[in-house]
Amino acid sequence: MTEIERESRIVALLTEIQIPLRLYVRSLLPGDPAAGDVAQQANATLWLKRGDFTLGTNFKAWAFSVARYEVLNYRKRQARDARLVFSERLEEVLAEDLAGQADDTERRHEALKRCLANLRGKDRALLLHRYAGAGTLAEYAAQTGQSAGGLKVTLHRLRNALLACIRGQLQHTEEMT
Amino acid sequence: MNPQERNRLIDALIEGDISEADFLRLEAEFSVDPEARREYLERLTLSALLEEEGKAFAPARVEPIAFRKYWPVALTGLAAAVAVGFFGLRERSQRLVSPERTAAAATVVEQRESGFAVLAGQAGAVWQGAAQLADGALVPAGQLTLASGWAQIELFSGVTVVVEGDALFEIVSPMEMIVARGKVRIQVPEPARGFTILTPKGKVVDLGTEFALDLSSERPEVHVLQGDVEWHPHAAAMRHLEKGEALRLDDSPTSEKRIAQTSGFIGLEEMGEKLAAFRRERRASWARSIETLQRDPRLVAFFRMNASDPADRRVTNDAAAGKAVLSEGAVVAAARVSDRWGQAGGALDFSPAGSRVRVHVPGRYHALTFVTWVKINSLDRWYNSLFLTDGHDLHEPHWQIMNDGRLFFSVKKRDTWDAAKGEKDKHIYFSPPFWSSALSGRWLMIATVYDPDARHVTHYLNGQRLSREAVPAEYLVETVSIGAASIGNWDLPNRDEPRYAVRNLNGSMDEFALFGTALSPEEIAGLYAQGKP
Repeated sequence: MTEIERESRIVALLTEIQIPLRLYVRSLLPGDPAAGDVAQQANATLWLKRGDFTLGTNFKAWAFSVARYEVLNYRKRQARDARLVFSERLEEVLAEDLAGQADDTERRHEALKRCLANLRGKDRALLLHRYAGAGTLAEYAAQTGQSAGGLKVTLHRLRNALLACIRGQLQHTEEMT
Repeated sequence: MNPQERNRLIDALIEGDISEADFLRLEAEFSVDPEARREYLERLTLSALLEEEGKAFAPARVEPIAFRKYWPVALTGLAAAVAVGFFGLRERSQRLVSPERTAAAATVVEQRESGFAVLAGQAGAVWQGAAQLADGALVPAGQLTLASGWAQIELFSGVTVVVEGDALFEIVSPMEMIVARGKVRIQVPEPARGFTILTPKGKVVDLGTEFALDLSSERPEVHVLQGDVEWHPHAAAMRHLEKGEALRLDDSPTSEKRIAQTSGFIGLEEMGEKLAAFRRERRASWARSIETLQRDPRLVAFFRMNASDPADRRVTNDAAAGKAVLSEGAVVAAARVSDRWGQAGGALDFSPAGSRVRVHVPGRYHALTFVTWVKINSLDRWYNSLFLTDGHDLHEPHWQIMNDGRLFFSVKKRDTWDAAKGEKDKHIYFSPPFWSSALSGRWLMIATVYDPDARHVTHYLNGQRLSREAVPAEYLVETVSIGAASIGNWDLPNRDEPRYAVRNLNGSMDEFALFGTALSPEEIAGLYAQGKP
């Protein structure tokens, strides 16, 4: 195999695992807005170390181990901030779970779009505010005359509803096939 | 911890709003309960997707460094042909991972491809340093080396270039090309006036014409065959050349013009003849190969979608072994169009509403191999049919393409199942997305092998493996049946329910083969090598 063929295979593998890789980093850094940057750093490292990878072996497992290393690195740099961290064993188990499950993110994304369209206007506005990240929840609460705590409860309820809707959609499409 | 409380804590965790005590409770739960971890990952996915949706509405942000910094490196290192296939995938994955979006793109994400030209045809072309470029492929950006043979390239500006190897060149934009080595003949239509070719000695600016450049020898020359051009040497004054005039590019600025020669350059007409001859040869070799194929005892169905009589709405099964039980298919709605060799009436276009080929495949099979040649316009249905049995009854296969470009194959395992226990009626074997709009309008060979002995399902595109997945023990079906089925569509509406799902393939098919056995990767690659136009 030429070097070019090898590299193109690695790029293809890298492309294929983008979504699970990002999800894995997120699962190790829940609630940390830097998770996306750490995942990108993992991509950069994977590319730099591509020479270490043996084609034919499990790329996902290798990528996850590199990503985990990046997470550890990131935590080290954040040492002053005593963040909540899962046990080493649990972090490995999460990697195994993710490696073993089929990536249906795109189907979920399509389903989510349909589910969002069915929401009431003010619920959609709240979600948009939370996820488009224009301001804090407290500001939004003040604007709309609600309490921040109340909005948190509403957001949780909306996420529950969306999840149920997505599950229904996926179930429905499976039955159709 | 009950599920409601657990889910509330998971959300708090994801929102970065959890107490240490609750974090520890949740960690304990995750450590022992796979269901809790599944819920966690599912909610993480939801959050990520919601952020993705949110970004569509947020003002554009600067993309963080790493991705932008390293992906281009990954791309420049790539073989040209691979890069073309890759852009589609890259675009798709970025849709989910890249934060770079603007408010304007809020509702629809426009598809993008990369390139300035398509490869209109090639005769004996050998591309160096890259996998072979296929006819109709986007010509990738960057330097290209055509070691030998001829290639005809159509730029999006309307300019047509015939390149003769050994040549080193680059398409810089629809209006600009660099030629460092080789012979090129260029036809510039009126709308593309001003088209420029950069050479090591200077540049040629076209004024509406046909001209040729010979950079294959020590003494590079420009020849004007029609209209006129401007020659801008690097260190001297511009010279105007008219029809019939030629110039050595290293001649002194005052030297006499020469007489243009057409004979040294392959023109469009000759290129057309070369292409036709090349195609005839390929087709003849394919015709010889299918004579052998038809006698293969493993072949159940072999439909070439042609007919000697255009009014005949049937296609015949050319498989010697399968003929006795399955003699023909009935064409519905589909229109006759040219096949992959350019022969009129040799393929069926399934895009008209309701199009399909009805077949009835009796018998039971252990393993199966599906192979088809298709030209897809677009994957605009949720499910784009290749071969589907009516309804979806027990032990029946379904073969189709998802709208995101993944191949879909399944064999139904159960009639009743308990979703609460995580059971499904079947396992779906998806390939990774193979489609990008750069493949639109190109003939592709798609194949899927169901092998219950080796216990895996393998998907192929153009003879190359896309993916292989193990058959989970609980979804293993040892005996597959087919019965009534449609090629290029799904199901018949019935009397009580005339509404039906739109699944007809938006594209054409000129060959469909079904083997009652699992073909090896070498055999699939062989079918592609023999069958590619």
